[in-house]
Parts: sequence; structure tokens; C-alpha cells
Amino acid sequence: MLKIEGLHAGYGGFEVLRDVSIEVGAGETVAVLGPNGAGKSTLLKVIAGLLKPSSGAIHFENRRIDGKAPYEIVEMGISLVPEGGRLFPELTVYSNLMMGSFNKRTRRYFKDSLEEVASLFPIIKQRKNQVAGLMSGGERQMVAIARALMSRPKLLMLDEPSSGLAPKIVASIFEFVKEIKDRGYSVLMVEQTVKKAVNVADHIYLLESGRVEFHGKKEDFLENPKIKRSYLGI
Amino acid sequence: MLILNSVVNGVLFGGVLALMAFGMNLMFGVVQIVHLAYGQFIMVGLYLVYVLAILYHVPLLLSCAAATAAVALLSILAYYLVVKPLLKAPPINQLLALAGVWMVLENACLALFGATYKGVQVVLPVLHVGELYIAASNLIGFVVGLITLAMLYLFLNKTYTGVAIRAIAQDPEITGIMGVNPRTVYLVTFAVGGALAGITAACFVPVYSVHPHFGGAFTLLAFIIVILGGMGNLLGGFIGAFIIGVVTSVSSTLLNPEIGQIIVLLICLLIIIIRPQGLLGVRGK
Repeated sequence: MLKIEGLHAGYGGFEVLRDVSIEVGAGETVAVLGPNGAGKSTLLKVIAGLLKPSSGAIHFENRRIDGKAPYEIVEMGISLVPEGGRLFPELTVYSNLMMGSFNKRTRRYFKDSLEEVASLFPIIKQRKNQVAGLMSGGERQMVAIARALMSRPKLLMLDEPSSGLAPKIVASIFEFVKEIKDRGYSVLMVEQTVKKAVNVADHIYLLESGRVEFHGKKEDFLENPKIKRSYLGI
Repeated sequence: MLILNSVVNGVLFGGVLALMAFGMNLMFGVVQIVHLAYGQFIMVGLYLVYVLAILYHVPLLLSCAAATAAVALLSILAYYLVVKPLLKAPPINQLLALAGVWMVLENACLALFGATYKGVQVVLPVLHVGELYIAASNLIGFVVGLITLAMLYLFLNKTYTGVAIRAIAQDPEITGIMGVNPRTVYLVTFAVGGALAGITAACFVPVYSVHPHFGGAFTLLAFIIVILGGMGNLLGGFIGAFIIGVVTSVSSTLLNPEIGQIIVLLICLLIIIIRPQGLLGVRGK
């Protein structure tokens, strides 16, 4: 579904991603793990069209998407939940969700999408007239995921969904990710919280200093002695 | 009673000022550009009404409507020719380019119409309400201003394009990944901003005669109102407009219009010194 080959990208002269190749199959959940500064967020930014890669290719459903504008990429069915949610702080929850269904492909399904998303996050109906900037971090993250789902994506990308949240809320966010996965979405998420992310993922990529240091099935990841030591603390 | 009277007229005039400032504020909030030629757009609107109504004997209301549409088109033209090529340039370049538009429009009007005052002589009654004297021209401006702003409120809250305009002012990057093409939003914003300059001009028809240097004072006034309310803060600009309306009106009645201008500028200075983010603005935004 999503195929990234030999991707290089960075800011100015500073290279953040070096020869990264990643694949996400239909219906799969892929987790890209790695320490702070490994280039995880940059990877999602490049896929979403917010940053142009310096070389390499990204194909989505056999169409080349690298170099396209962000609004064209949403139209093709890729949606990003940015780190911290990045809701529009002065807009109500409802208006934020409206922005989620802005693209031409899904705008006419607004009501259906809203019902579907509300079945996952009942909070969006209870709070629909609340200004997003006044919500708690966990609530904002939920609304941000809901907003991304409003665009009826084929691939949902999550940038550090657990970032800045209390452990109890992190657990519930990952429950939602599992639920989204069970509803048939393909998911690509980047995370620092290794254990939680590994639980929901089918495939794992490990990114260190902009390079893919490991990729494989969840089981192989958990059995790898080096990873066990450095990331799982076993 | 004299003071109450001028307060009432100031509030009424504030309705038009709110409309005028809204256009500049919207363009600042969305495109991050200070529209230095905004008053000149109002000037062009007034000249157009003069040309249509006086020289071609078109009915006045129709002239106003046509002038509004024409100023909106002019604004779109300015977007394509001046703003769009400079979207990624440093702000100072955009500012200078719009100052260029100001010069071009002023001198074009000077060449076409000469330096004398041109106006449509509309004589509107002064209404007596109880002991108050209310200028009908102010009342018309107030009503038109509020109706237009109410329509804008609905547009900005209920339509996809309107919500996208507000969203892009808050977080342009994320607006892109919602599927919004920012250039389309900028274009719509300039069209709306131009239309507001046009409607403001229509409201000014019974109040002012126009001359080639008419615009500068209104660019400045709109800018002062925007600063007063907080740059890009639409509600703040709305409140600021009424404050300026009342201050101008009361000080003109009690002292004289020149002192009124000075007081308005003093308020602007004080705000910049004491509360640079404006009445409703957020610091560091």
C-alpha cells in the first residue's frame, strides 16, 4: 500500500533521514520506533507532504506521491495525526472535525463520517461546541485522531500519540489505536514508548540516527537480543 | 445631551469602521500581510461610485453594488500580481510592494480625476429621536456594517471555506494536511477583503467627498483599530472600531476634529507601549 524506497530528507544542509525504506501493507499496523531525534517525525512529515525529500521515492497504491502538496496527499487517502494533536485551538470541536472532512473526496460524507467517528469517540458529541484549546491533553489527542479519521483515510499516520500524556491516558489511547486497527484501517505510527506500541503493531521498524537499524515482525523484534537489552530492558 | 448625542453617532459610525477594519484584519490574520493599500481600495470604490452615478447616471444603489464588485476584483488582481509572487519573500518586501500599489492607485486617480474633491451629493436627513440628533448616513452605515459582519460571521463559522480561513490563521501547516490548498484560501480572503473595502466605500458615499489622497488616512485608521484590538483578532477589531468611533465623535464635538485625530493616535501609541498585543490579543502570537 505504502512503499518508501531509499528516502533521504533533512532540513537545510542537515540530513535527518538516510536511505530509509519502509513498507506498509493494506490493513497492517506498522510501528516505527526509535529514540528522540532519530527522524521519526520527519519521516511522517515527508510522507504527508510537509517536507520535500532530497532523494528517494514514495509510492502509495502504486502512485508516486513524493513532492506532492499536502492537500493532494490527503485527497489520496493518507491522514496524519501530528504530535500533540495540533487541533485548531480557537475552533470548536465540531469545526475541527469539519476541517477533517474538508477534502473533496469525503466532504459529502460528513454526517456519516461523524457518526462513525463518534461511535469510537463519544466525547466528540458531548463536547462538540467546546473550543479545542480549552480541552485536556488526552481529550485533544482523541479529537485529533477523530479529525484525521473524518478524512476517511486508507492509511492513518500517528506521530507520537502518547507524547506528553499521563500513563493511564496513554493506555486508553493505545486501546483506541487497536480499535481503529480492528476496523480495518492501515496504521503507521511512530513512537518512543516501545512496549505499548509493540503490542498493537504487526511490523516494527527501528530508526536510529536516521537509518533503519532493524525491521521485521513483532516476534522477531521481541526476540532480538540487542533490542531486548537496549529497548525493552530485559 | 451633547455628549450622549455624539456617543450615539460615534457608535453608529463605529459600525462602518468595524467593517473597514475587519477586511484589513482578515488579510493580516490569514496571509500575514499588512495591507498598506487598503484605504486606496476604498478610495477607488468612491471614485467608481462617482463615475457611475454622476458621469454615467447609473442609479446610486446599483453604482455602489458595481463599485463593490469592482474593488473585490481589483483586490483579486492585486493578489495575483503583487502578493502571490511574494508569499515566500520577507515581510518587508510584501509591505513595500503594497506601498507601491498605494502609490500607483493614488497617482492613477490623480491623473484621471485631478486633485479636486469629487463626490456624489446625497443629502440625507438628520433624524430626531427624542432629544437625539442622528445622522441618517451614520445609521445606514451602521446597519449595512452590522448586516455584512453578521453574514461574515456565518460564512466564517458555517462554510468549509470560511472555517478554513479561520483555521489557516491559527495553524497554516496543519490546515494543509486537512486538504486545504492555502493559495485558494488566500485568494478568497483577498476577494472578501476587497469586497469589504468596496462596501465601506459605499457607506462613505453620503459622508465623504473623495480626492487622490483620501486613502492614506483610512489605511492608518484601519491599522490603528487592528492594533487596538490585537492583530488578527477579529472580535478585538470589532470592539476597537466602536472605541475609535466614539472617541473620534466625542472629541470632535467637545474640542475639534483635529484634536480627535491626535487623541486616536495617542491611544494607538499607548496601546503599543502598554499592551502591544492589543485588547484581546495574546502575547507572543
